[in-house]
Amino acid sequence: MDTLAALPVQALHGLVYGMLLFLVASGLTLIFGMMGVLNFAHGALYMLGAYFSWSILQWTGQFWLSLLVAPLLVALGGVLIERFCLRKVHSYGHAHELLLTFGMAYIIEELVKIFWGNEPLRVLLPSLLAGSIPLLGIEYPVYRLFILAVSIIVFIIMFFVLYKTRAGIIVRASVANKQMVDALGFNVPLVFLVLFGMGAWLAGLAGVIGGPYLITNPAMASTIIIDLFVVVVVGGLGSIQGALIASLLIGQLQSIGILILPQFAIFFEFLLMALVLIFRPHGLMGESK
Amino acid sequence: MTSSAWLKWLLLAAGLALLAFMPFLIGEYPLNMVITMIIYSLFALSYNVLFGQAGLLSFGHAAYFGVGAYTSILLFKKLGLSLLPGILGAGLAGAVLGVILGLFVVRLGGTYFALLTLAFNALIYAGAEKWRGLTGGEDGVAAMRPDLHIPFLGNVEMFTTVHWYYFVLIVVLLCTWFCWHFTRTPLGRLNECLRENEDRARFIGYNVYMSKVAVNVISAFFAALAGGMAGAFQEFVTVTFINLDKATDVLIMTFVGGSGTFWGPILGACFLTYLNQVLSDLTEHWTLIQGILFVLLVMYAPQGLSGLLISLKDRFWSARAGKLSPAAKGEG
Repeated sequence: MDTLAALPVQALHGLVYGMLLFLVASGLTLIFGMMGVLNFAHGALYMLGAYFSWSILQWTGQFWLSLLVAPLLVALGGVLIERFCLRKVHSYGHAHELLLTFGMAYIIEELVKIFWGNEPLRVLLPSLLAGSIPLLGIEYPVYRLFILAVSIIVFIIMFFVLYKTRAGIIVRASVANKQMVDALGFNVPLVFLVLFGMGAWLAGLAGVIGGPYLITNPAMASTIIIDLFVVVVVGGLGSIQGALIASLLIGQLQSIGILILPQFAIFFEFLLMALVLIFRPHGLMGESK
Repeated sequence: MTSSAWLKWLLLAAGLALLAFMPFLIGEYPLNMVITMIIYSLFALSYNVLFGQAGLLSFGHAAYFGVGAYTSILLFKKLGLSLLPGILGAGLAGAVLGVILGLFVVRLGGTYFALLTLAFNALIYAGAEKWRGLTGGEDGVAAMRPDLHIPFLGNVEMFTTVHWYYFVLIVVLLCTWFCWHFTRTPLGRLNECLRENEDRARFIGYNVYMSKVAVNVISAFFAALAGGMAGAFQEFVTVTFINLDKATDVLIMTFVGGSGTFWGPILGACFLTYLNQVLSDLTEHWTLIQGILFVLLVMYAPQGLSGLLISLKDRFWSARAGKLSPAAKGEG
């Protein structure tokens, strides 16, 4: 197959990865925008989603059950980290909060190695999702379309919640001006706790559906964290639209890049980041504060 | 001179004497560990120029360390340089990289600095992995440690561990002296001012952006020097010198030792290198223990071990002073 004919398929691959990346990045960027906390453990929470799901599958053999339960467990973990660790160091400033979440990521990665081992794990997919269908002239794996479907559904729900409900308005207002929301009488720490839990849930969900696709292994967290940070820089602080655009861009850069210049594909996203830093230092959709 | 200042000089003199006679006190195997401690002390010191003094939290210091290590090994191998030019070349390469990356990473400050240093470290790592012709990719490059050439005096061979120990010790002591002196220069003072109140520094008329780049270059130079020596020490460099683990190691060392004091990072580097050596023989979960220790310190002792030692000392001194006269408290 020549390069041009492979283009649509690669673009679809890129879209799948981009949407997955967005699921993880959306929580990260909202948390960052609201409290200035760059949650280093976000990648680790995503990885936990993949591993919890693997274990639930081992015990019960139910993929759909793991899709439901594993993200909830990750959300619980996220809430515990926020309530009992992160909140304690809040008064020391952002650098300490970042250090704490970094320490958490470090511990989670070590625990994953202890409980699940260093080797990549194989996830057995239900037969409904395991096959492939003819699409764009090739046999396309159903599972990747499933990832795309799930992430689009979650994306639509998230936008609806953020833009059409009272809770979403409070969250967006908190990202824009935390002090004012606090002054209006809302419980900002509680809003943040819920946001943190939701972010963890999204990361966990992305881990569950991404695990079988990107291979469940202990390096998952440190691999995705770099892409996540690039998304935050390129998209702009606290901007959910920016995160979407940046995630999709990175997905395309990686998959199309591999097609054109396989040796240098990995450098494209850094090039994008450097260009954004030079010409729009506050990100594509970010506002300078 | 107050008694506490006397104590400081006495401790410093005792420490230097101990370092000078170290090869006569311990065997070759522990001496190798001490060399590692000394090299990592410099790495942590260079890191603290950014973290402790400028308040910039970096997740990408391995980029400079690794580039330094590659540079020294390649200068030995391809150009056949002797030891000192090779190590200095490593430092210079780090400084050049410090200028280039510095222009990008200090632009947005604060949390963005952490994020950008991590991303650029990943970029440099990818570069080292892909440029196989130069770096050997994951296989790495090896080169023998060359002789130290001293003008008019001839060559000193560096194969003997004791010779190598003294070389590393002298270089690191000089660098330590420089870093100490740096905290008292106008730029060093400005550096701390930027940490405390960047807006005010800007308001007075300082060029905050270029000052940060300059500080980044100084820090990068010493990190690369440490990397150059680490590469020459192992006579072999691979991508593990430049990966995220290396970048987080130095962060953990500096924080555990305590970023608030000048000697904290040295303490952290020695303490963790020692624990690593001892505990990794006993338990395979050493890294988990290190992570838990780190989180506990972040939560309960943000000034690290040096902060704990100082508060212990203060308690001891104030207890003694309290016995003599309660009014003497707060002096000294």
